[in-house]
Amino acid sequence: MIPSKLTRLLLAALLMMATSIMAHAQDRPRIVAVNYPLKYFAERLAGDSADVIFPVPEGVDPSFWRPSISDVSMIQSADLVLLNGAGFAAWIDRVSLPRSRLVNTTARLEDLFIVTESITHSHGDGGEHSHEGLASYTWLDPTIAAQQAEAIANALVQRGLVTREAIEPRLASLQTELVALDDGLKAALESVRDVPFIATHPRYHYFARRYGLSISYLDWEAGAMPTQEQLATLSAMSEKTGARGLIWEAQPPQSAVEAVAELGFTSAVLPPYATVPASAEDLLDALEEAAKTLALAAQ
Amino acid sequence: MDRPVIRSAAFVACLLAFPGAGLAHQLVVFASVDCETLTVEAKFANGKVAKQGDVRVLDGDNALLTTLPLEENGTAQLPLSSVDHSGGLVVEVDTGGHDDFWIITPEDIARNCGS
Repeated sequence: MIPSKLTRLLLAALLMMATSIMAHAQDRPRIVAVNYPLKYFAERLAGDSADVIFPVPEGVDPSFWRPSISDVSMIQSADLVLLNGAGFAAWIDRVSLPRSRLVNTTARLEDLFIVTESITHSHGDGGEHSHEGLASYTWLDPTIAAQQAEAIANALVQRGLVTREAIEPRLASLQTELVALDDGLKAALESVRDVPFIATHPRYHYFARRYGLSISYLDWEAGAMPTQEQLATLSAMSEKTGARGLIWEAQPPQSAVEAVAELGFTSAVLPPYATVPASAEDLLDALEEAAKTLALAAQ
Repeated sequence: MDRPVIRSAAFVACLLAFPGAGLAHQLVVFASVDCETLTVEAKFANGKVAKQGDVRVLDGDNALLTTLPLEENGTAQLPLSSVDHSGGLVVEVDTGGHDDFWIITPEDIARNCGS
């Protein structure tokens, strides 16, 4: 069938529009964020002024992601690279990144960092030892998250990606929501301030400090069935701390929930949201909901 | 600033990037290229040189190009012409108890080669 003149004109117009849109998209500044909270804040603050990219594939923990060479090339060419700081994302210290385009969102918050000690092990002739580090999941304290958002806003303005006039109301709105989240979490967790918990992974140091929670940590694989040895360690930790609530960072298999229930534990899932949530939840809503679940589990 | 000074400054920056470095001995690897040589340096975060270890050099598809040993001074060097570096290089160092890596992109190579 030969297309009519009108059809050809329409097709040509559509093609021109598509080309124009693609060119516009390619022209937009590119911002890379090392975790989902920073991506979320940058998207709220930049609006349509930039494309914000979280390069870590779905299902991969961004703390331990190892980028490919092409990933690093893409990141090196970004207009802005948003770092969490506090030791988050080990890969950033294993590549050359353009210093003038890096933004460490906790650079001025080092006084708030929490020092942790990782698992003790031994090898070679070094004897038994442990490696110290920093707790990295800073955004789980909304007051720190608000300061990280402010650091992003300042960087966007300083690099000329968004005007001060445009960004101020967006930052104010985001920070208002973070204050509301903080208030909501305080209220939700007030009743469990003195209740001991055990967490399957060391993720909640800043969250625990902010809301006065007492959390001991295991180092289990996220969402996996614990081994008998791990269950024995859980029991021993429970005897020591008196904890009866177990916090999972990802939904465990039902068999795992049942196994810890037999040991007297109530399970609650509290994702730290370093990566994009599986459902299309808003970061702030998701955090508040998860905290409420935690409070309920302790009752 | 000449290249060795830049390289030393970058390596010190890498060591400083690891919090609690004075109390731990995490392995820290740094690799750099000029037009002729790939240079690998490996130290522990407490500043001690990694005297033994395997250096694996991989291409952009993670295919192993070559393996070489660390020297006593914690370095290893490889003529760049001996490997296909057009797609960048990944350098892995394994000391038997600790391991670390460094990623070099084609852009890094072009930049350091003055092109």
